[in-house]
Parts: sequence; C-alpha cells; structure tokens
Amino acid sequence: MSETFKVRVNQLPVIEVPADGSQSLLEALEAAGIETRYHCRTGFCGACRSKLHEGEVEYVNDPLAYIRPGEVLPCICIAKSDLILDH
Amino acid sequence: MRYSTFNQTNANPLGEPMFFGNPVNVARYDQQRHSIFEKLIEKQLSFFWRPEEVDVSRDRVDFQAMTDSEKHIFISNLKYQTLLDSVQGRSPNIAFLPIVSLPELETWIETWSFSETIHSRSYTHILRNLFSDPGKVFDDIVMNDQICRRATDISRYYDDLIFHTQLWQTHGEGDITIDDVTYHVTVRELKKKLFLCMNSVNALEAIRFYVSFACTFAFAEREMMEGNSKIIRLIARDENLHLTSTQHILNLWQYGDDDPEMKEIAEELREEALEIFTSAVEQEKQWAAYLFENGSMIGLNKEILCQYVEYIANLRMQAIGLDPQYNQTSNPLPWMNKYLVSDNVQVAPQEAEISSYLVGQIDSEVSAGDFGDFDL
Ligand code: FES
Ligand SMILES: [Fe+2]
Ligand SMILES: [Fe+2]
Repeated sequence: MSETFKVRVNQLPVIEVPADGSQSLLEALEAAGIETRYHCRTGFCGACRSKLHEGEVEYVNDPLAYIRPGEVLPCICIAKSDLILDH
Repeated sequence: MRYSTFNQTNANPLGEPMFFGNPVNVARYDQQRHSIFEKLIEKQLSFFWRPEEVDVSRDRVDFQAMTDSEKHIFISNLKYQTLLDSVQGRSPNIAFLPIVSLPELETWIETWSFSETIHSRSYTHILRNLFSDPGKVFDDIVMNDQICRRATDISRYYDDLIFHTQLWQTHGEGDITIDDVTYHVTVRELKKKLFLCMNSVNALEAIRFYVSFACTFAFAEREMMEGNSKIIRLIARDENLHLTSTQHILNLWQYGDDDPEMKEIAEELREEALEIFTSAVEQEKQWAAYLFENGSMIGLNKEILCQYVEYIANLRMQAIGLDPQYNQTSNPLPWMNKYLVSDNVQVAPQEAEISSYLVGQIDSEVSAGDFGDFDL
C-alpha cells in the first residue's frame, strides 16, 4: 500500500487519500464516497471552495476564483499533509 | 468630473482603486494593481466560440415532438436568457467604463461584455433553426409580463448608477435639479449605487440563468435538443467566469486592499446586498412556477428546481461573504454538474454535428486542388 494522508471532511469519519499527488483533492474526496460540490473542475468558478482548518495543500493549477484566507479550491490542489476541512 | 477618453493626469495606476479614481489613460498591462483581471481576460479569450460552429439543425425534429407544455418551457427560457444577455451585452460597458480606473479591469469589462454579445447572437441562431420566422418570439420579450417584471429589477440598479454618473460627470457634486426633481449627487452616494449595482449583477450571473440551464440540461439528459444544449454549455462556462469576476470585485472591496470607502460601504449596505440576492432567488423560484404552469417535463418539476436554486444560492452567497440562507445543502440535481464541467465542453472539429469549424482558421475559398494529396 502506497503512502496516504488522513483527511477529515465535515466531521465525517477520516478517509485516506494518496500522498503521491496522483489525484486532485476533489477527486480523492469523490473516490472516498464524499458528496462534492463543483462546476468547472479547473479552478475558475469557485464552486468547490472549502475551508481548510488544518494541514497543507499545493496548487497544481493557477486558481482564478477568489480565495479568502483559510479557503482552498480542491479541484486544482493536492494534499501535502493530513488535512481537516469543511467542504 | 467630466469624462475624458484620454485623461492626461499622470496618475500612478498602482495606487488607483478599481472605480472612481482617475479615468484610465494608457491601456498598459505591464504593471497591475489587480492582476487577476488580466488572467480572466486570457481565460475568456481562450473560451472563444461562435454559435455557428454548433449545428442545431437536428433540434428541429425534437422540438416538433415536444408537448405544448415542454415547448412553453423551452421557448420561455430562451426569451428570458435573451433578455439577460441583451442587458449584459451593453450594461457593464455603459455603467462601469465611465468610472473604472484600472486598465486591466477596463479591458476585462470590455471582454466580458463582448462575450455576452456572442450569447445574444446564439439565441437567434437557435431560434432561426426552430422557426421560419423567429420574430414573434423576440417581439414577445417586451410584451410578456413575466419577462418585463424581471427586466425591471435587473436594469434598475444599472440605470440608476448610469444616470447619477452622468449627472456627476456633467455637473459635479451637489444638488442638481432636472424637471423639478432634485438629485443629491456625491461621490459617496455614487459608490453606494455602484456597490448595489455590482451586487445585482453578481446575483444575475450567479443564479438568474440556472433555472433555464437546468431545463436545457434536463432535455439533454433525455437526448433532446442536443445542439441547443451544447450552446448552453458554452454559455454556462462563460457565465461562471463572469461570476468569478463580480465575486472578485465584491471581495476586493470587502477583504482586499482597494478602496477603504468601498469597504465601509460594503459594511453599511450589507443588508441591502443580502436583500438583492434573496429577492433574485425568489424571482427565480417564481420563474420556475411560471415555466411549469401548464405542466412539467420529465425529470424536472417546480419543487426540485426551487431546491436547486437554493442549493446554488447558498454557495454563491458564501462566496461573497454572506451567510447561506437556505436549508438545501445537498445537490438535488447531481446530473447538472457534468454539464457545467469546463473540460467536457470543447467544441471539437471532428465532432460530426459541427457544420462549420472555422476557429483560428482563415475563412476563405479553397478549391479541392489546394489540398493536393491530402485525404480529408
Ligand atoms: S470546481 Fe470550479 S473552482 Fe473548483
Ligand atoms: Fe451571457
Ligand atoms: Fe454573463
């Protein structure tokens, strides 16, 4: 089993997401069966906006939607550590 | 302050606010206060499409097979969208260009408005295919009660801002009496009007299209009106980008460093902003009721459509710092998402249904001989 990060979303049971960046955070949430919100999936609409309470992500695309402090766009970022977020 | 098309004051563009600073002079993008707007311009240009690229001819058969209530839903939505894009194809230019102070934002506004004119042209493209004379459909737009009611609400914030800007630019601040009515004109009052107008435009881009979009995509789910649906997907992608731009403007006022007076105004008029948003939501729900007054269509009814409006309204409200007002936290129409994903919406030349693929290509007469041995 390859390396994973632990992610807690909306106080649901913790899920594991691949640590190798092979999936966007949004894809990883979907793969774990979490109901996600999105439209564009490329970082410009902001529909996937989520609150990051703990942990670190890295953007693989330039975000165009407005991101306020503490928010992330899961459709274009990958997990860089264990995370706690509201989606 | 009189508008000048080339303001000769030497202002520092990096110190100007988005609006109500000095009018823009040199259209330069080497130094930018808010570089996001240039990124939005690039994105919008990369989305460029033409209605004629999408072959809608097969929709005619589908349309003829529709029930009367489905025809009512389909045509009413097109009328409403025509109204929205008629307004959006001109109003950002007329209302915002006279008061904008940053070149990157000025050019974004022009690019945005231009893309709305493509939307307007696409409705004629769709209707020409369905009717030998689409005139009646267009004529009804200014006579239909339901549409007119919405038009009033959509245009009034723009009209108010435009009129007061004209007063200010011709008379300056002060009390100005015209036809026995006295208007109290100050820059602060103008900024308030701008703030309300931007909130109204934001609500338009955020939710006013989505009842129509949902109907279009519900037809597409049944493999009906697919040419039309392809066009609406391209429109939806553009609208999402427009929405991002109004969200940026509203957030830059509230959270970013732009104009401290706009930050105060945003706080002062928070309730009004909320009210603009929630009344747009109510109007959309009434629109859903009007659409389904003669009967619903397979896959959609008024209730579920209203839930969808509430669901996206919550997302859009949070995006501009307002508290979500509705209980609908899960997506009642999950299939909507696949039509809103940007990657799925490429207009590809190899697709059989596209009649004339001319983007980025010279539209000229080419004889078969010019292709030599090419096998097309
Ligand atoms: S889905 Fe559009 S920004 Fe993430
Ligand atoms: Fe539009
Ligand atoms: Fe728009």
